[in-house]
Amino acid sequence: MSARLTLISPEILLFAGSVVVAVLGLARNPAMRRAVPFVTALFLLASIGVTAYVYRSDAVETSGLMLPHLGGYAKALLASIGILLVMLAGPTIDRRLEEAFDAGRASFDPIRVMRGEFFAFFLLSIAGTMLIANAADLIWLFLALELASLPTYVMVAVSRGTRRAQEAAIKYFFLGALSAATFLYGFALLYGATGTLELSKIAEVLASQSAAGGISTLAIVGGVLSVLGIGFKLAAVPMHFYAPDVYEGASSATTAFLGFVPKVAGVIALMVLLAVFGFDGHTVTAGGSTIVMPGLPAPLAAVLWMVAVLTMTLGNIGALLQRNVKRMLAYSSIAQSGYLIIGLLSGPEAGWSAVLFYLIGYGVTNTAMFAVLASLERNGEDVETLDDLAGLRTRHPVLAWMLAASAISLIGMPPLIGFFGKLSLFSAALGAGHTQLVIIAAVNSAISAFYYLQLVAVPMLGQPNARTETVQAVPSAWPRIAAVVCGVGVIVMPIGVSKLVAAAGSSLPEGKIVASTPSAAETAIAKR
Amino acid sequence: MIELASLSTAALHLPAILGEGAHAVTIPSAIASPEFAWAGLILLLPAISAALCGLCAAFGVKSKLPGAITAISLIAAFATTLSLYLKMPADAPRVVHLFDWIDFSWKTGGATWTQFLAPFSLYIDSLTLLWMLFVTGLGSLIAIYATEYMEADTGKGYARFFGSVSIFLFAMGSLVMGGNLILLYLGWEGVGLASYLLIGYYYNRPSAVAAAKKAFIMNRIGDLGLALGVFLIWINYGTLEYDGIFKALAHTADPASGASWSAAMIPYCLMLGAFGKSAQIPLFVWLPDAMEGPTPVSALIHAATMVTAGLYLIARTYPLFALEPHALTVVAIVGCSTAFVAATIGMAQYDIKRVMAYSTVSQLGYMFLGLGVGTTFGAVYHVFTHAFFKALLFLCCGAIMHGMAGQLDLRKMSGLRNVKGFGVISWTFLIGCLCLAGFPFTAGFFSKDSIIAQAFASGNPTFVTLGWLALLTAFLTAYYTFRVWFRVCGGPTKYEPGDEMHGHDDHGHDHGNGHGHGHGHDDHGHGHAAHGNHEWHPHGPRLAINGVLLVICLGAVLAAVPAYMAMRGEANWVETMVQHSSAALPSAEHGHGGEHAHHALSFTGIEDVHKATSVVASTVGILGILIAAYFHLLNRSAADKLRQALLSNSLTRWLPLAMENKWYVDEVYHVVFRFPASVLGHVFHFIDKHVIDGFVVNGGARVPLEVGRLFQPLYNGALQGYAATMAGGIALIAAWVFWIWLHGS
Repeated sequence: MSARLTLISPEILLFAGSVVVAVLGLARNPAMRRAVPFVTALFLLASIGVTAYVYRSDAVETSGLMLPHLGGYAKALLASIGILLVMLAGPTIDRRLEEAFDAGRASFDPIRVMRGEFFAFFLLSIAGTMLIANAADLIWLFLALELASLPTYVMVAVSRGTRRAQEAAIKYFFLGALSAATFLYGFALLYGATGTLELSKIAEVLASQSAAGGISTLAIVGGVLSVLGIGFKLAAVPMHFYAPDVYEGASSATTAFLGFVPKVAGVIALMVLLAVFGFDGHTVTAGGSTIVMPGLPAPLAAVLWMVAVLTMTLGNIGALLQRNVKRMLAYSSIAQSGYLIIGLLSGPEAGWSAVLFYLIGYGVTNTAMFAVLASLERNGEDVETLDDLAGLRTRHPVLAWMLAASAISLIGMPPLIGFFGKLSLFSAALGAGHTQLVIIAAVNSAISAFYYLQLVAVPMLGQPNARTETVQAVPSAWPRIAAVVCGVGVIVMPIGVSKLVAAAGSSLPEGKIVASTPSAAETAIAKR
Repeated sequence: MIELASLSTAALHLPAILGEGAHAVTIPSAIASPEFAWAGLILLLPAISAALCGLCAAFGVKSKLPGAITAISLIAAFATTLSLYLKMPADAPRVVHLFDWIDFSWKTGGATWTQFLAPFSLYIDSLTLLWMLFVTGLGSLIAIYATEYMEADTGKGYARFFGSVSIFLFAMGSLVMGGNLILLYLGWEGVGLASYLLIGYYYNRPSAVAAAKKAFIMNRIGDLGLALGVFLIWINYGTLEYDGIFKALAHTADPASGASWSAAMIPYCLMLGAFGKSAQIPLFVWLPDAMEGPTPVSALIHAATMVTAGLYLIARTYPLFALEPHALTVVAIVGCSTAFVAATIGMAQYDIKRVMAYSTVSQLGYMFLGLGVGTTFGAVYHVFTHAFFKALLFLCCGAIMHGMAGQLDLRKMSGLRNVKGFGVISWTFLIGCLCLAGFPFTAGFFSKDSIIAQAFASGNPTFVTLGWLALLTAFLTAYYTFRVWFRVCGGPTKYEPGDEMHGHDDHGHDHGNGHGHGHGHDDHGHGHAAHGNHEWHPHGPRLAINGVLLVICLGAVLAAVPAYMAMRGEANWVETMVQHSSAALPSAEHGHGGEHAHHALSFTGIEDVHKATSVVASTVGILGILIAAYFHLLNRSAADKLRQALLSNSLTRWLPLAMENKWYVDEVYHVVFRFPASVLGHVFHFIDKHVIDGFVVNGGARVPLEVGRLFQPLYNGALQGYAATMAGGIALIAAWVFWIWLHGS
């Protein structure tokens, strides 16, 4: 147990951080309130260091988790992208209010300041997402998922002072509750089918059931409902309806957060859950005998297959219709989840490492796009439609280039990072025999080029008009810095692509998979 | 001696003998040498320089800083190459692993894993070093030259120019030093990009833009071949590392019988790539047009270095070519035909830069001939000597152009040797011309001779025929080379300035249409020509240009030293380098080492062929020079009379016309490819506009949109609706799952 406590020290640090930040945000001294984003970033930075330290110790092996190394990768990834997200959100939250305070138009009122709360919830959500990787039982998994979700509802509500943000938050909250109910129901059925809450014990029971003739219907129904419910975090069909409205309603900086952190939460939760059912060729030791698993139960695989196809197709088709960039990116993020589910379906060795690698590229690219949006404003409002971006190159060439680079990366054009992500995902899927899925995904990539290229063409080639004349950069340089860092990352990261792939691979059982080693397939899922 | 004699016969039918006993090719397996990691500096320095030049351009630096950065970093890269050459043991190739770049594994069939690996590693053997020595050496000299040549563009295109040159050097380094074909491809495309950027440097001139596009598209055709070749190598050998490919080849016991069609296609695909990059038939037409770029670029990229990339590719993958019996013959035939055709065109051009461009195409043809007939040494030696003397010739042309306000027409300049400030140019130009013409005992003579001699010595009737054609070409080469020199530097002093479209003359903007009124005549070297209210006089180059000319001239002369060493019975340095690389020939690797085998050949009759070829080649070379002297120095009107005589006779009029019009190759391509492509393009455009856009996009590809609209009512923003749809979706999916489950999937 102490080993698992050691492993969650990054989360403990972030909890502490959230308390500090919440208090700091209420300070009368404006300098202290201004320090909130920096303190947030500092805690995230520290948690990267703690993660690196903790995940090198023995605690990892003795923790008894089924995927012990996954947390190290996930936490480092979340905290790093988190720092970039802070750069986006920092200057936007409470900007109006603080300006009013500075100008003496309003006097300080602790009820009205939101910055401390926002960043406290920011840290809590990231900590919750990190905790998912450490889940050893269903209760922990459920609580961690809720800890990751609940703060985001508040973040959407306070992200900007419009009623649309509050409407979006309400929708997000109720639909989130629906999804939580769904996967909680699934968890309950799993418990009923196996009689235990511990994930590794559930794996044993399911393995024995499988060896004895087949996994019980109850467990499969539980699995299907859990997968569909967790799909909400990924914005996977049919739980994707909230995404366009919520993305549109929240401020650009918050949308960047919603596009990444909940997605990582969903991916990790699905990995933790699917590991229980076992993949082809995995062995589970139960009751003294070693059982070779036949693979995911057919209904579960069929659900994932169907969800992947529907998610990427509906996501891409939905994006085609949009003139609102944030709605377009919401649909794009739905489509990207479809690609991720293909990887999840393709098994832990190649597929999951491809998914984890894909998340780096996606996180950076997603942040770059929203950072460009967050860097611009029109009459004090977020820039939202494609028309606002027309001819951006003439006024803000760097932002236009960064937007173009990330859009091209999301299409999957070499040599940008998105190409390598899709390459590894699709080759993993081909290796797992999902040829049809890869073909569907390739067609979808072609469809997606249509709207991604608009994000290149409109800012680059479009003519500035009277409307775009009123678009200007926000006063703070931080969103622009984040845009440049992420945009350059999209271009430069391919140089270190094999390091990133290796990092993703080593966070999964059996470490990195080496070529032409037949035994590599016999990846054992470690039992406690 | 018996063994030696059998060796000589083995050398006679090279492709055949390679086909029978390819296991004789023993390339020592590479040694991993992390201690040479500093060799990565050769790539890093130009890359840094490119980034800095980019920053200079972004911040609008108005000084000569970008030129200085580039020159310094290239000189440092050359110094690094030199010390690498001095420290690298010659026993076996070294592989220097810098970092992992691409590394992917996936399952192929059951439990086997396939790995695609492209580390950023360098493969360094003597061939690499030889290439890099002249690439970085000439690169730094030409960068110094360009700091003066491009000065009129300071603050405008200066940073862009040097940034592109730095990108070129980085890409060329990756091409030559890369340890696998992926890096070679990266460099291959990189040099193509740099070439495109630099040909189109004067982007407000339509002809330059057209030339840049032409070069880019022609190279794309070749690159398709290279890409297919790389794919086929991956399919057949499962690796793209040179070391791995050579090892795999060594394990191929009898390649001739077991080779699949895809393995047999590899050399032909690679060949297409090489012909594109090195401007051989049928893809040679882009190179003469590439002269639209600034002259230092023509010297560096389109004469000395980039165009030899095709040669490098074939020399590097020579074992693959040796496997396929007819591949090398094709290379030889294409090379020799290109040499001849380009030489005939070069005879009839009036633009001195174009003459040099065609002579480059022609000399590259010689090199391919050398590879094809089985003397990799001859080919590489000719690459080496040609790099120097052709760079020299181009830099001389550039200096003339620089001083004469863009004048390049050899009919409008004469006697420049007597013009003040043009002395160094004239005499270094002469030395370059002597080398190109194959004047006895110059570097060009030895290298060209070794190729022609091998063609005759091979005994293969095809190759002997090609040898005669090559001799004829040598005669034409001597003629057109000295036609230029006698016209431009010889004769009475007389010149008119160009119209200064290149904008690097201080007086350039004052001339107006200088072609019309420009006419200067002065025996004392002060040309005076009235241009509006200004007086025009040619200005000789300053230190940076003259110094570089002298250094490269020295290099061109010294390039003959290896051949003299060979005559004295010592090892030819270049030959030793080639024999210690993957371009080594099997006959020379039979335990004796390269030099021994070379001497073995000397005793068995090839020496006679060599001698005979040398005598004949010198004779035709001198003959060509003499004829040029008659027509273009002593009796210039005779040349025009001859042309008129040929034109007036209906039987012979095709000859001058065809030569002057470049054998109508561009026109043929226009009719055969461009015109149909253009028609097809219009047809496709029509189909695209009215069928695809009108029907498929607004009809077929509208399906996604309509499907999207179909679902739009679901996204009505009402929370209850969303919740109901989600629950319904879950129910539907669950129902579907249980339905297929019950029916057995």
